[in-house]
Amino acid sequence: MRFFQVMFPALALAGLMIILAACAQMNGLPGLPASHPEALLAGQQVSCAECHEDQQKGTMKAFDSFSHTPEFVKNHRFYASSDERLCSTCHKSSFCNDCHTNQVEMKPSLRYGNRPDREMPHRGNYMTMHRIEGKLDPASCYRCHGRANNERCISCHQ
Amino acid sequence: MKLSCTSLISTCFLLALPGVALSAEVSVDATAIVRFEQRANTGFPKQDLAPATQFLGLDVNKLGDGNLSLHVSGWGREDILDKSYYNNDQAVGSLTYGYLQYRFNRAADARLGRFFVHEGAVNEQVDGLSLRSDLPLGFGVSVFGGANVHTQHLANENTDGKGDAITGGRINYRYKGMLELGASGVYESKAPTLTDPAHVALLNGGKLGDHRLIGGDVWFSPFRMVEVMGHTTYNPETRGVAEHTYLLNVKPVQHLVLTGEFNEHRERNFFFGSAMFASLLNDLNEKSRSIGGSASYEISQALEVAADYKHFTRDAGNADRSGGDIRLSFLDNSVRSGLGYHYVRISKDFVNVMGTPMDSYHEMRVYAMHDTKNYFAAVDLLDYLFQEKVNNEQNAWEAMASLGYHLTPQLAVSGDFSYGRNPEYIRDIKGLVRLTYNMTFDSKGGKK
Repeated sequence: MRFFQVMFPALALAGLMIILAACAQMNGLPGLPASHPEALLAGQQVSCAECHEDQQKGTMKAFDSFSHTPEFVKNHRFYASSDERLCSTCHKSSFCNDCHTNQVEMKPSLRYGNRPDREMPHRGNYMTMHRIEGKLDPASCYRCHGRANNERCISCHQ
Repeated sequence: MKLSCTSLISTCFLLALPGVALSAEVSVDATAIVRFEQRANTGFPKQDLAPATQFLGLDVNKLGDGNLSLHVSGWGREDILDKSYYNNDQAVGSLTYGYLQYRFNRAADARLGRFFVHEGAVNEQVDGLSLRSDLPLGFGVSVFGGANVHTQHLANENTDGKGDAITGGRINYRYKGMLELGASGVYESKAPTLTDPAHVALLNGGKLGDHRLIGGDVWFSPFRMVEVMGHTTYNPETRGVAEHTYLLNVKPVQHLVLTGEFNEHRERNFFFGSAMFASLLNDLNEKSRSIGGSASYEISQALEVAADYKHFTRDAGNADRSGGDIRLSFLDNSVRSGLGYHYVRISKDFVNVMGTPMDSYHEMRVYAMHDTKNYFAAVDLLDYLFQEKVNNEQNAWEAMASLGYHLTPQLAVSGDFSYGRNPEYIRDIKGLVRLTYNMTFDSKGGKK
């Protein structure tokens, strides 16, 4: 533990130094644009491969990896954890924070009741269902409610 | 620390204001929602509630030399009628995020203010500074540090259980569109100690677990049609693996996606840094595991079908969830519809808090929506059908209808109404009115 306490700030500092050392060589890096050049329609199932056949230069991954199939939407956390900057070329932070936030004002499915096509958690009367689903897979609750966004949870679970 | 960070954020915003006036691109998203509720519980006076919420988002791009941007989002709520159970006071609000971002070039950026961090094993909200950059030879680095953003206090405590300061980051290496390896970690300052006698008795003298994690993540695509990704985290406080979570994607032909997933959690190690979850589970030595697979196929632009299966295993029992979904779209995507069915089988070993076995259930959903230039409408039906009655109810169902009108292309008014019946309520009736304003001044790119 003591080793970790000492090493972690040291690694963070080393990371900063690497950034500074590499700054001089960075102009040639492909990187990512600030935003997608074409506006995308709300509700559109985005298929990057429709326009792009090659590799996304900034992430060095095939464009097709990021096509928004139902499987991509269901498992988007894997992509966001390593390529969040690519997400932000099309999505504002608020798009993610409608669900992933520190203090949610109302259930996303209630706020966006006019958008049933969007994948929103806890539709309907979730009070009944959370007792079952929380028991089957508590880790799935923890991802959003473990250390934040749990002001409703702690009124019963203490 | 918290106060100084809040002051820092406020100062940054004030400094940015002159630039806002001269900026090339300003985007505003505002949604006002008024909910109407009536509460009538036995033994309590009847309440008429009308909490009104204003969501507000502001994005200002191309400030200063064109590389600086400001991003703010938050909400405020006020009770128009009786004080609601939502609010401790008559009004409340929250700054979700508010930060200045500077892009040094296409490969690096810095953020200052309140922001979220999603990097490898790290998922945090921070008042502070973050730096991210691609580096030569396929390397990349991101670091962040600052004050933790606290949330609601635990009952009878003066803390939410989180430490005050937090730092972390991720380094990664990418190789020729074939491999990405990452290592990430988060280090939070010492967690507070609880003082309520009940908590002290329950939780190791009130001592909460410190939140520290390190993890490794991978993305591997040996062929274009195959990719494997996921991460493993280790909790140095409990000296054990916290989580394995991995996904396999296979795209053998165009429009067909097959996936397999594996998740395993050692609950003591995984939940250690959460005051709520650490006290929630009777046996923190449990291990939970889920293995599943799914397939989706886009038959045409108008029709997409998907099927999925997942098996859950915990020390307490096991369960299966299986089913499928169909998505339809017509009239140039202006009509979208979907229906789904899933069956959840739960073994008799699983018991609820009352000690009785939990029942298997069917989940059914159908929805449709239509967008036009002038109006938009949606209907959504959801039903959980229990094999055995819960609280003397066989179903938990809800029907929702929404209707809206575009007053201008940027301004819309809409209303939702829902009716349901479930084990919690004999009747569950909800309604709301929504006013939405989305405007971008001089936008070039597209963000939705």
